[in-house]
Amino acid sequence: MNEFTRRAILDRVRLATHFPSKGQTTDSYLNLPRTYLSSGQLCPEDRVALMIERLREYGADVVESTVKDLPAAIATQLEAGGRHSFVAPPGIPPAWRDKKFDWKIDRHLTHDEIEQAEGVLTASYCGVADSGTIVLHHSPTVGRRILTLLPDWHLCILNASQIVESLPEYFQRCTQPPAVATFISGPSATADIEMTRIKGVHGPRFLNVILVNDQSASHSRAPKRH
Amino acid sequence: MTPADLAAHPILDPTLAPPFPQAALPVLRNPQLRKNVAHAIDVIQAKRAKLVQEKADWQELRAAASAIRNHALDNLAYYLELFETRCTAAGGIVHWAADAAEAREIVLTILREENATEVIKIKTMTSAEIQLNPFLEAAGVNVFETDLAEIILQLGEGEPSHIVVPALHVNRGQVCEIFARRLGLPDLSDDPQALTTAARNYLRKKFLYIPTAIGGANFLVAETGSVAVVESEGNGRMCLTLPRTLITLAGIEKVIPRFQDLEVMLQVLARSATGERMNPYTSLWTGVTPGDGPQQFHVILLDNQRSAILGRAKERQTLKCIRCAACMNACPVYRQTGGHAYGSVYPGPIGAILTPQLMQMHHAQSLPYASSLCGACYEVCPVKIDIPEVLIDLRAQVVDQERKRGARFFDPMFLGMKISNFLFAEAWRFRLAQLLGRFGLRWFTSKDGWIHSLPSLGAKWTQTRDLRGLPPQTFRDWWATRATDAGKEEK
Repeated sequence: MNEFTRRAILDRVRLATHFPSKGQTTDSYLNLPRTYLSSGQLCPEDRVALMIERLREYGADVVESTVKDLPAAIATQLEAGGRHSFVAPPGIPPAWRDKKFDWKIDRHLTHDEIEQAEGVLTASYCGVADSGTIVLHHSPTVGRRILTLLPDWHLCILNASQIVESLPEYFQRCTQPPAVATFISGPSATADIEMTRIKGVHGPRFLNVILVNDQSASHSRAPKRH
Repeated sequence: MTPADLAAHPILDPTLAPPFPQAALPVLRNPQLRKNVAHAIDVIQAKRAKLVQEKADWQELRAAASAIRNHALDNLAYYLELFETRCTAAGGIVHWAADAAEAREIVLTILREENATEVIKIKTMTSAEIQLNPFLEAAGVNVFETDLAEIILQLGEGEPSHIVVPALHVNRGQVCEIFARRLGLPDLSDDPQALTTAARNYLRKKFLYIPTAIGGANFLVAETGSVAVVESEGNGRMCLTLPRTLITLAGIEKVIPRFQDLEVMLQVLARSATGERMNPYTSLWTGVTPGDGPQQFHVILLDNQRSAILGRAKERQTLKCIRCAACMNACPVYRQTGGHAYGSVYPGPIGAILTPQLMQMHHAQSLPYASSLCGACYEVCPVKIDIPEVLIDLRAQVVDQERKRGARFFDPMFLGMKISNFLFAEAWRFRLAQLLGRFGLRWFTSKDGWIHSLPSLGAKWTQTRDLRGLPPQTFRDWWATRATDAGKEEK
C-alpha cells in the first residue's frame, strides 16, 4: 500500500479545508437542516394500498393474503407462475414450500444450481410505500444476495406491519445499519434504447409480492412502553 | 479534423478535443442526431418534472442534500479516514490514487495478482475519467461493459454522450445494426425488447464465469464503511455479487457522513436522474461478507485534482455533484449539441465546470463559455450546485490566462473589448460611436428592421442568427425629448 500517496492526498484535503477539528465536525453535522418529511401521514390501510399501487405501477404482480392463508396463497402463486424448480433461503418456514414443487434450500448452492432454478421464494425486511420499494436485509429468511438475483422469477413475502410510508421511516427502523442490503423497486428495467422502458434486463424479470395482512400494522409501529 | 470525422469519431479526451463551438458542428448539422437527443431529453424531463411536483418536501430534501454534501466536503479528511477505518475493519482493502495513472496502475496490479485476463464492469464515470478501458485492453485484459448503453457503445465503438443514459444519441435502428453485426444475430429485430434480450443472453455467461469485476460508487458511507451503488438493470448486482474479486473505483468526494444520510440522497438521486421514485436496484455492502458476494474487495480512492478543486472557495461546490445528469437534461445548450461536443466524458453544465478543473485549466477552456447562463441547471440540481456562478468564475480564470499570453493582442475579441473599454470611458465617445454605428449599420439593415448578414467579423454573429437593427432614436435622445414634450403638453 502506498502510504506516501495516502498521506499526500489527506494533507492536501486538510489544507484545502482548513483543518476542522473532530468536535467541530460532529457539531456541524448535528446542526444540518433536516426539515423534510420524516414520518408518514397515511393510516395503515392507505399505506398498504399505496404500496400495492406503486408496486403494480412497476409491473410487479401483487396479491394479498391473511397470515393463516399464506401457505395456500404461496402455492397458488407458484402454480400460476407455471414453474417447477425453486430455491429458497434456509430460514423459510417449511410450510411455505409446497411439496408439489421441486425445492432446493440454499446451503452453499453453487452459482450454476441457483441459475438453473426457475424461481425463488424469500421473505423481506421492509416495504417503502411512497416508492414501492422492497428492502432486503440478507437475513436467513431473505438469503444471500445471489439468491434473489439469478432466478428469473421472484416471489417475495411482505407483511403489512413491515410497510412504512416514506424512506426516512425505513432508516428510523434500522437501529443497526445492515452490512448488506438490497433495495428493489420493481423488476429489473432499462430505458437505454430510445427511453422505452423494458422490463427485465439482468435481474429477475418477474417480481411477485404476497402482501400479508398481519393485522398489526398500527401496533408494531407504536413504541413499547411497559 | 473535419466535422464529418468528428461525427463518426467524437473525441472525449479534453487534451485532444477541439473547442466546443467546433465540436458542436457535427451534431448541429445532423437532424437525426438532434432528434434522438431531444426526444430522450424530453422524456426524462417530463418524468422528472411530474415526480418532483408530487414531492411535497422537494425543496427541503434539496436543502438537506446540499447541506450534507457541503458538510462532507468541509470535513473530507475526517470522513475519508473514518471510511477507510470502517471499510478495512469489515475486510475491505483501501487504496489511494493521486491521479489517473496511479489509479490505473493499482487496478492492473490487482488484476495481475488475480491472474485476471477478463473483467466485467459496471458503468462507472470515474473509470471513464481515468480512461481505464483502453489502458487495460493495451495491457492484455479483455474488458466487458455490462450496462446496456455501455454495451451498445463498446460494441459499436461509440462514445458516451450523457452520464446516466450514455447512448441516448443512438436510436433503435443503430442498436440493432450494432448487435446484429457484433453478436452474430443477423435476424435481430429493432424492437427494444428483442435488443434488450439479446444483451441479456450475451452477458449471462460472462457474469457466471468471469471472476473479477470493476465498478464505481454512488456513495461511500463513512460511518459504516459501506458502499452504495444505484442502478436499473441488475448488471450492477451481478457484478457486485457473483465475482470472487470486486474493485470499486471512487472519487474522494463520494463520501457521505452517515448511513441515515442515504434517506435524503436516494430520494433526490432517482427522481433527478431518471424521473423514477426509486431506481429498480440499490445495493449496499460493507467490506466482505463471508459466504455472500466477493471475498476480495478493493476500494480505490481517487484524487485526480479533486483536492485542488476543494481548496477554491467558489469551485468547491463542483464536488457536491452526485452525477444525476439533471443539469444536462435541463440545459438548452446540451439539448441542441448533445454530449460529444463537450469533448469530455462529463458533458453538459456539470462537465463544463468539472472538465476544465480536472484539466487544471490547461485544456477545455472553451467549456465555461458553452452556456447561456440561464440558470436552469442550478434550478434542477438536487444538491444545489450554483453552476452559473462557477461558470463565470472559470471564465474569469480563462480570461486571466489569455491576458498573460501576448498573442492575445491580435485576437478580434480582445481588440473589441479594448475598443469598447475606450469608448465606454467617456460619454462623448460613446455617443459618437452610437451615431457612427447608426449610420454605418443602415447599409446592412433590411426594410423589416433586422440585419440578416454582416461582412467580415460581423458574419460570425449573423451566420447563425439575425440582429435587430439600431433604432432611429437612442434611449438618451428619447429621454431628452420626452422632458421637453411633456413641458409642451402642459402649456
